[in-house]
Amino acid sequence: MTSRRCCWSRALLEGALLAVLLLARAVAAEVPTAEVSSAQMPDAEVPFAIHAPLGLPALPLPADNPPTAAKVELGRKLFFDRRLSFNGTMSCAMCHVPEQGFTSNELRTPVGNEGASARRNAPGLLNVAYHPRLFHDGREGALETQVWGPLLAPDEMANPSLGHVLDRLRALPDYAGLFEAAFAGRGASADTVGAALASFQRTLVAGDSRFDRYRYGGARDALSAEERAGLAIFTGKGRCATCHLIGERDALLSDFAYHNTGIGWLRSQEGAGVEVELAPGVRARVSAAVVRSIGAAPRSDLGRFEITRDPRERWAYKTPMLREVAATAPYMHDGSLPTLEAVVEYYDRGGAGAPGQSPLIAPLQLSVAERAAVVAFLKALSGRPGKPASAHQGEGR
Amino acid sequence: MKTPRIRLTAMAVLLSSMLAAPQLAADETCNSPYLSSLIKGQEDYVHVWTLGVKGVGDESDKLVTVDVNPQSPDYGKVVHVLSVGGRGEAHHGGFSDDRRYLWAGRLDDNKIFVFDIGSNPAAPTLVQTIADFADKTGFVGPHTFYALPGRMLVQGLSNTQDHGGRTGIAVYNNKGEFVAKYDMPTGEHDGVAADGYGYDIGINPQKNALLTSSFTGWNNYMMDFGKLVQDAEAMKRFGSTMVMWDLKAMKPQKVMSVPGSPLEIRWSLKAGDNWALTATALTSQLVLVKQDAAGEWQAKAVAAVGDPAQIPLPVDISITADAKGLWVNTFMDGKTRYFDISNPEAPVQTYEKVIGKQVNMVSQSWDGKRVYFTSSLLANWDKRGADDEQFLKLYHWDGKALTEQFALDFHALGLGRAHHMKFSAKPAPGTARDPGRGVAIAQR
Repeated sequence: MTSRRCCWSRALLEGALLAVLLLARAVAAEVPTAEVSSAQMPDAEVPFAIHAPLGLPALPLPADNPPTAAKVELGRKLFFDRRLSFNGTMSCAMCHVPEQGFTSNELRTPVGNEGASARRNAPGLLNVAYHPRLFHDGREGALETQVWGPLLAPDEMANPSLGHVLDRLRALPDYAGLFEAAFAGRGASADTVGAALASFQRTLVAGDSRFDRYRYGGARDALSAEERAGLAIFTGKGRCATCHLIGERDALLSDFAYHNTGIGWLRSQEGAGVEVELAPGVRARVSAAVVRSIGAAPRSDLGRFEITRDPRERWAYKTPMLREVAATAPYMHDGSLPTLEAVVEYYDRGGAGAPGQSPLIAPLQLSVAERAAVVAFLKALSGRPGKPASAHQGEGR
Repeated sequence: MKTPRIRLTAMAVLLSSMLAAPQLAADETCNSPYLSSLIKGQEDYVHVWTLGVKGVGDESDKLVTVDVNPQSPDYGKVVHVLSVGGRGEAHHGGFSDDRRYLWAGRLDDNKIFVFDIGSNPAAPTLVQTIADFADKTGFVGPHTFYALPGRMLVQGLSNTQDHGGRTGIAVYNNKGEFVAKYDMPTGEHDGVAADGYGYDIGINPQKNALLTSSFTGWNNYMMDFGKLVQDAEAMKRFGSTMVMWDLKAMKPQKVMSVPGSPLEIRWSLKAGDNWALTATALTSQLVLVKQDAAGEWQAKAVAAVGDPAQIPLPVDISITADAKGLWVNTFMDGKTRYFDISNPEAPVQTYEKVIGKQVNMVSQSWDGKRVYFTSSLLANWDKRGADDEQFLKLYHWDGKALTEQFALDFHALGLGRAHHMKFSAKPAPGTARDPGRGVAIAQR
């Protein structure tokens, strides 16, 4: 299996890449830029400027892996390459679908090698460069090393070893010379694969939403009255901004801390069955016994506790950033809430009352109109209509 | 991907010639009408496309050949096993137009295996592995293999873009070379939202009619079934349409709303008939697709299968050669049900029998006296624990009841999950094997 794309998608891809370069040049004078000096760099390493759009701080870049055009392009190729999975069926982009906010809108949790069940919702990758730690439980600290997790996880891309991936890449003719060109003569290795994929993912930035233009661009009419009311609730009565931070000069919309929202505990409670929509308007109940007869027993998921072994962090998960949140349904670490309305309703009622649930989550007593306003505000965190926040959206494979 | 003009022209000529095809005919009763021969007497072998299972035998997908001729000393025994290596979600297969070769697909890794059945039906050989299906088409999950003269239609289930349900039909020639592809329709069609999904193909040459149905994408058919039913987002991603295509032009003619994922398509085999039946997996309905008085194709539910509220999950169906009866398997309760379809507008269930803890595929002999069943639906949809029976069973049907003749336990035999079945027969004594083999078989 190869990742060769059909002609139209290749054209789209080339167009998208051109667009991101042009866009970067167009806004270079207006927004903070994390730029890399080309001094003493090999000719092959042409710096790649990643511009932080309105509302985002300068992009944090690792000193030992400055982005270059060659690395970004190689990382893009790796990201969309199905051959990187053991049986050639999955690329990174199969769970982090560009057209679906770099997550998957069609599944609560991803399906991996030979149908294996992943435990957690595929995190959206937009603005992933800002995350100080990665995965829902924060078990990785750098994109460069994080990428090997899914490549080797038996329930994801299922490669039997790191060396197996590298051997395969070294044997593929269309990769001949690409690593060497991007990394000053160094071939495919654990480091260079990680560096290339990380470089590409750092280009997935999303900002300049209507909220940003209202808050940081001086466009007072950028938000509607309802959206402004939603922002006020978000930062006030709703206490959302306690964890989804909004600063004076920019907004990451996350504290990158770990919180027990109650969702993890709630999912650990066995249900009495499930009501299934078989077709629009046709519903039936499936008993717990039937569910057990046709499915594997669910695996436990204790969140951050699995990394720290600190009982206080049972069922705690990292606060997600919220840009483009309207495009990244379903929500929460397990994808259990299908809509923004459901998320707001969950927090409004004070969560699940779970053991150890964060004290920050308590009944809010929001009215129907207030809940609707918060949802309207969340939808204003998306990029300009008709202009994807990330120029990589819309790429085909 | 653009299809070269010359290929499209060749396809047009080919498709035009297909309209001159003789009487509609099928499996034996559910094969393509373009097969050069049908086995109208006793079949000698049943070939079972079998999924490898971790911890069972060599853990690989395989073609299992079973001797089913009661006159043979090996009757009811596995006489040949051909492993193809690895697991890729083995699923369905279909004969080439000359019935010499069996094309069999894997829904996960998209490999298509071409087995030579004609040279020695007792010991098929693997002659070609087609590995470019996803690359050439952007489709995933080669499901239905449906012969045309010199060609093979391959219906996909998913796509390389997002592993969702949008897909299309690929055309290969008999050398295994990609020829063309056709996307399933999307968008609004006379008030019906086309979902772009695919599943089965059924052709009525006399009507220039190619009918397709719709299932779901890789994300769902590879998912643990228990997880799937609890995922409301995923449950929204099932097909809800059937499409009538102009066969000659290979263009969608009409998109019909058929909620609940319509699966296998069975045209009436009687000359001049203008109807087909399908069953919806999720909503448990038999659906009739038929021309109305004005010649317009219409789809309508004509009977419930079991109690839809219990989600019996109709899966494979098999129509009798005289188009008066229909076997309908329901996976969840392990039953097969016989419907009298003398009036296809009002099918009536007249018989049912539990075949096992789970049952999926059903294939019957041309005379309807022998009915074969296998158990596996999909690797991650099959039942768990003791309910995960894996078998091939033969029953005799006397018009009133099924009587078991033999049962092969595919777990105990170290084989795996038994899925699609195809029949073959030895060449008649004294007949040339090539090129007249097909004719010889047809006359048995």
